[in-house]
Amino acid sequence: MENAYAKREMNLIERILDFACLSPLGALALIMVCILPLVPPFNKEYLIRWLIMGAIWGTAAISFDLSGGYINIVNFGYMAFFGLGGYTSALVTIHLGLPAWVGIFLGVIPPAVLGFLTGALSLRLRGMFAICFTWFFGLALMGVAFKWVSLTRGPLGLRVPRLLETTSNVPYFYIVMIMLVVTYVVLARLVRSPMGLAFRAIGQNMEAAKTSGINPTRFRIINFTVSCALAGWLGGFYAHYYAILTPEIMHTQKTVEILVVAYIGGRASLWGGVLAGFPFAMAMEFIRSTFSELPGINLLIYGTFLILIMIFYPGGAVQLYRTYLVPSKNRIIQKLIRTRY
Amino acid sequence: MTDAGQLQLIEESFYARAVDWAKSAAGIAIITTILLAVVGSIDKGPYIIVNTLVTGGMWALMAVGLALVLGVMNLSNFAHGEYFMLGTLVAYYIITPMHESLFENYNPVLMLFAPVIAIFSAFFIVGFIGAVTDKLVFVPLRKRSKEQWMMNCFLVTIGLGQLLINGHQLIFGTVFKGVVGYWDVPSLSLAGVRISVDRMFAFCLAVVVIILFGLFMKYSRTGRAVRAVSQDEPGALMVGISVPRIHTFTLAVSCALAGLAGASLLFMFPSYPAVGVGPLYNSWFVIIVVGFGNVGGAIAGGFIIALIQVLTRVYLGEGWETVIPMLMLSAVLIFKPTGIFGAKVRGIWER
Repeated sequence: MENAYAKREMNLIERILDFACLSPLGALALIMVCILPLVPPFNKEYLIRWLIMGAIWGTAAISFDLSGGYINIVNFGYMAFFGLGGYTSALVTIHLGLPAWVGIFLGVIPPAVLGFLTGALSLRLRGMFAICFTWFFGLALMGVAFKWVSLTRGPLGLRVPRLLETTSNVPYFYIVMIMLVVTYVVLARLVRSPMGLAFRAIGQNMEAAKTSGINPTRFRIINFTVSCALAGWLGGFYAHYYAILTPEIMHTQKTVEILVVAYIGGRASLWGGVLAGFPFAMAMEFIRSTFSELPGINLLIYGTFLILIMIFYPGGAVQLYRTYLVPSKNRIIQKLIRTRY
Repeated sequence: MTDAGQLQLIEESFYARAVDWAKSAAGIAIITTILLAVVGSIDKGPYIIVNTLVTGGMWALMAVGLALVLGVMNLSNFAHGEYFMLGTLVAYYIITPMHESLFENYNPVLMLFAPVIAIFSAFFIVGFIGAVTDKLVFVPLRKRSKEQWMMNCFLVTIGLGQLLINGHQLIFGTVFKGVVGYWDVPSLSLAGVRISVDRMFAFCLAVVVIILFGLFMKYSRTGRAVRAVSQDEPGALMVGISVPRIHTFTLAVSCALAGLAGASLLFMFPSYPAVGVGPLYNSWFVIIVVGFGNVGGAIAGGFIIALIQVLTRVYLGEGWETVIPMLMLSAVLIFKPTGIFGAKVRGIWER
């Protein structure tokens, strides 16, 4: 009753924001990122490439967080599903001659099926062992991609047709931003629904969740399927953007990169990964290009950062938000961060 | 009842127990492994058994170390392979100057003992590094995180792995740093099979170290304290065991075992930044397949994974050795979710 009343009171903008599960602050940040490629310091092609990189990381971190943050099972083979989507999309486009955007959508299917299988098989395992299982799964997928040379050309890499004809990066940036927003909205609405509550319950205490009548089997499988399907979707975009696909993308190393971004952003928030993804991708690319005579220094910094964050501030950026912004009495801040989510 | 009757009864019960064991998952797995090894070596030559024994012993050592920290500290160590890498590195930088100086002025006794010195110094140095890691990383982490400990640990060890791999790459480069063989002597001939001395030594070392480790855990005062901490931490604290010291000691021993494995397999795994990934995979595989429970299971599991990988490499070629174990693991999980050796103990690490 009260809810319906509140609905009537909302104006159009508020209703859109509510539909998208965004706070006004989040929407503002999103708009600012969207106009970044048009303003001077960022309108160079290489910086737009970095921005696209950041957006890919952010989007990957969102769907990674669905399993890692909510049901507390880190999908340690996440990038293998990502790569699987990329390979499917690329192969469909090359061999069947379908347009690239159809390929991207078809690329969702195999990761979703395999995500379903992983979820179903790893059900018997708990905690760390389930994580190991997803890790093995990812390694096995990468092994197949390396060895099935007749199909994937193995370590040589697959040449993939690009999504668009242009050489400019700007259209790609807007496409990936749309994918980011779609991924976020779908997952945020999922998390806001009763199903999200069930995810959280399973993640916090499986036994208690079972006692309250939640069937963990069903929710774990749904969670994995959705998360992996979105990973595959993004993988398709990745393949058609970079135009070259090697099995390296499925390596655990890449999963670790996404994992660091997701955890520095903060677990169980979805948007934390996006917040951390952009600056982190920029910083990493900057370090890599500046210290090119010291290979691996960016990953060294990565590791150190992960250790320090986990020891001293395990909540990540979301923890900052929850301790300083949410309890704040300031009315402007309250207006800016108000969401139902 | 006469003595003979009693004896017959004992024999019968022994026979019944053997049949029961053979019908259990563990029995089936071990018997299948042995059969596979025999069939494989008849088909492709006995080096399959030799390779399985050499690497299997070392994977067992690593899995034991991993299971130890998992049980005592609730620490799922994803940087365990990097201690293997450190072991290879230490052994390489000790053995190479020694070999060079021995090349100039030959000394047969030193020649014999140089590899042993290298392997054992790797054991102690990597153990020391493990202790330092505990003091620097896990002690502050333990102070700060309570209920999220498992997850934070997992992430911290991933970071640690990154740090060690890329530190190695920055300081020592990506070149392969290996030795052809520790001992420059002709290989032994055993029942028509030529086995290099390095391999023999690695296998014997694994057996000896596992036995010593088992005895140490069972009879020594420290070993008993370690087991006490793994069973009940507050209880151990109450009877006056210094739990932090036991934690440091446990991680040091676990890392030292990994370092020992790395050092004694230097001739098969030359040192390069990512050398530890394979061993890490193997030791986690052993832990999952076997199910956490006993050291015996870990030893059997070490040989099982070694055999699977040797056979995969021989019959399918390099690169498939992550795919086939994965398929087998899936099969095991479908039919025997607690692991082949049936974990009776369910601890905090499964939550």
